[in-house]
Amino acid sequence: MTLKPKSIQITQNQKCVDFTLSGDWVLRMESGVVQEKWRDFISPKTVPFEMCSFQMDSKSKWDSSLLVFLLKARKELSEKNLAVDFSSLPEKIQNLLSFAQDRGTTRRNFRNDMLENESNSFGLFLLSLQQFSTFWGKWLWSVAHLLVGRSYMRFTDFFVACRDCGASALPIVTLIAFLTGLTMAFVGSVQLEKFNATIYVADLVSLAMVREMGALMVAIVMAGRTGASFAAELGSMKLREEIDSLRTFGIPAMDFLVLPRTLALFFMTPLLTLYADVVGILGGLTVGTQVMDFSSLHYFEQTQSALTNMWEVYSGIIKSLAFGLIIGLVGCYKGMFTGNNSTSLGKSVTSSVVVSITLIVICDACFEIFFSFMGYR
Amino acid sequence: MSLEPERNWILKADSLLLKYGRNIVLKDVSFELTQGECLTIMGSSGCGKSTLLKSMVGLLRPSKGNIEFRNGLLWGKSDLPNQEAVANFGVLFQGSALWGSMNLLENISLPLQTFSELKAAEIDEIAAYKLSLVGLAGCEHLYPSQLSGGMQKRAGLARALSMDPQILFLDEPSAGLDPINSKQLDELILELKQSLGISFVVVTHELESIFTISDDSIFLSPSQKTIIEHGAPAVLKSSSSNSEVIRFLSRSSAVDQNT
Repeated sequence: MTLKPKSIQITQNQKCVDFTLSGDWVLRMESGVVQEKWRDFISPKTVPFEMCSFQMDSKSKWDSSLLVFLLKARKELSEKNLAVDFSSLPEKIQNLLSFAQDRGTTRRNFRNDMLENESNSFGLFLLSLQQFSTFWGKWLWSVAHLLVGRSYMRFTDFFVACRDCGASALPIVTLIAFLTGLTMAFVGSVQLEKFNATIYVADLVSLAMVREMGALMVAIVMAGRTGASFAAELGSMKLREEIDSLRTFGIPAMDFLVLPRTLALFFMTPLLTLYADVVGILGGLTVGTQVMDFSSLHYFEQTQSALTNMWEVYSGIIKSLAFGLIIGLVGCYKGMFTGNNSTSLGKSVTSSVVVSITLIVICDACFEIFFSFMGYR
Repeated sequence: MSLEPERNWILKADSLLLKYGRNIVLKDVSFELTQGECLTIMGSSGCGKSTLLKSMVGLLRPSKGNIEFRNGLLWGKSDLPNQEAVANFGVLFQGSALWGSMNLLENISLPLQTFSELKAAEIDEIAAYKLSLVGLAGCEHLYPSQLSGGMQKRAGLARALSMDPQILFLDEPSAGLDPINSKQLDELILELKQSLGISFVVVTHELESIFTISDDSIFLSPSQKTIIEHGAPAVLKSSSSNSEVIRFLSRSSAVDQNT
């Protein structure tokens, strides 16, 4: 069935104005002409009338577009001190109009305050810095409790977390480490060929893997994989009040949820790093033997001579301990301080990855600067 | 000398001021919970019912005032509540808040494993008994995600009962339940109150539940941010002079009142 366009007819009758609405007042129909006509009527500062009355064609269809128009009209007419008469309109429309008027507006001061606080990003940064320091302090306190045997941590949870962030991560770590070693070997071989020193590809790959790339690649994989999963897991537990229910039983969430996860990551990241070092060297070996025609024995001897000083390996492991701790703490912190809605859960997960990776890179640089100044390189 | 017999209180709130940041949610809130009775916290949405409940169970420290349990104050100098008092409380959260990674038996056993010296077999027996109390015998090895909303609520109640609490706090227990499940939960609350002598603090909007289970109630107003009425719901309905309370208890809107 075709709809008729909205229209409004304005009839002046001494001090009274009659508005006759016709056509179909439905959301699908455009209202440009009507709005224009209405603006022409209402825009003069003074109007020589006292009373406005509205009628509607009984055959017309209508929906909320009509009600919105009438409410707006009533507001604007009242502002000009004109009396508005809706009594000639169908009863259903009158009832809906009075219902909208009676409910009025709800004012909530505290919501606005919260938004104001959120817009103050420096304040938020300080707040999160304070929260993270407190979280870190509580974590240390919790570790101290564990060491003296007074922790609520369940070792089952610790072993489950070890499996989740250790053994389960092996396939992805294998792939990333192998490809990293392989890529470095390819890139290095092109440069070293210029000096006729291609065998030093083994030195390049092995040193880069154990000093830097092994720990860094594992940390990045763990930040995206495990850190994000900690944030999501704890965040959804917070949303579903599961953390509150632990607290009501007097079980500290720090001991029960955070400690097993962070400790598992702290112990598993160095192991994964060692594994990644070996796999990365194997990636280099693949290029060395298949592309550059070295024998495996030759390549291994060269690698061995590059790694005679075990400090190179240890320095990577030390870094990975710090990286594991950063990822675990940031992931759990972001999860525990998730807001009470699903949007903030998404933000927490994203931000746990971003903050972890940023802190890892900063921490890595600090380690290198420290090692260089102390003469360990 | 007062002729009214002294009420045997188990929990007392004294001039509480509850804030989120700078925003006052409730002020000057004082009431008593009588031993073995059910106190309902009523009020329209956003009046601070759940905030008050959080403060009573040790999740939110009041800015002023304190909550007194029989064996001492709930909030001392530290930010953490008095664990001796909290050990006597059981809480059923609005969404049940069962730990999703554990089955029902583990959910109920966890507090017992943590705080009792019982052997594992005994703990399992106690947990199974608590589940049977709420009509979930045989569901011990099911996970929360495998249960319907009503069953989750009952399992949450079983977990709240795990440490044999003296007071049970229920946050909107009937929310999201069909009328039959809601009525069953009310009957369960009455049964637990009568047979185990547990005191209840219930936050609810359900009028039928309010009139069925409550012995006493407080009514919070979002505009005045405090208690505006205190008494048994049936008495309040018939004798309160406050229009907000009457409207709430007669389930009528402002429009009805005006017309």
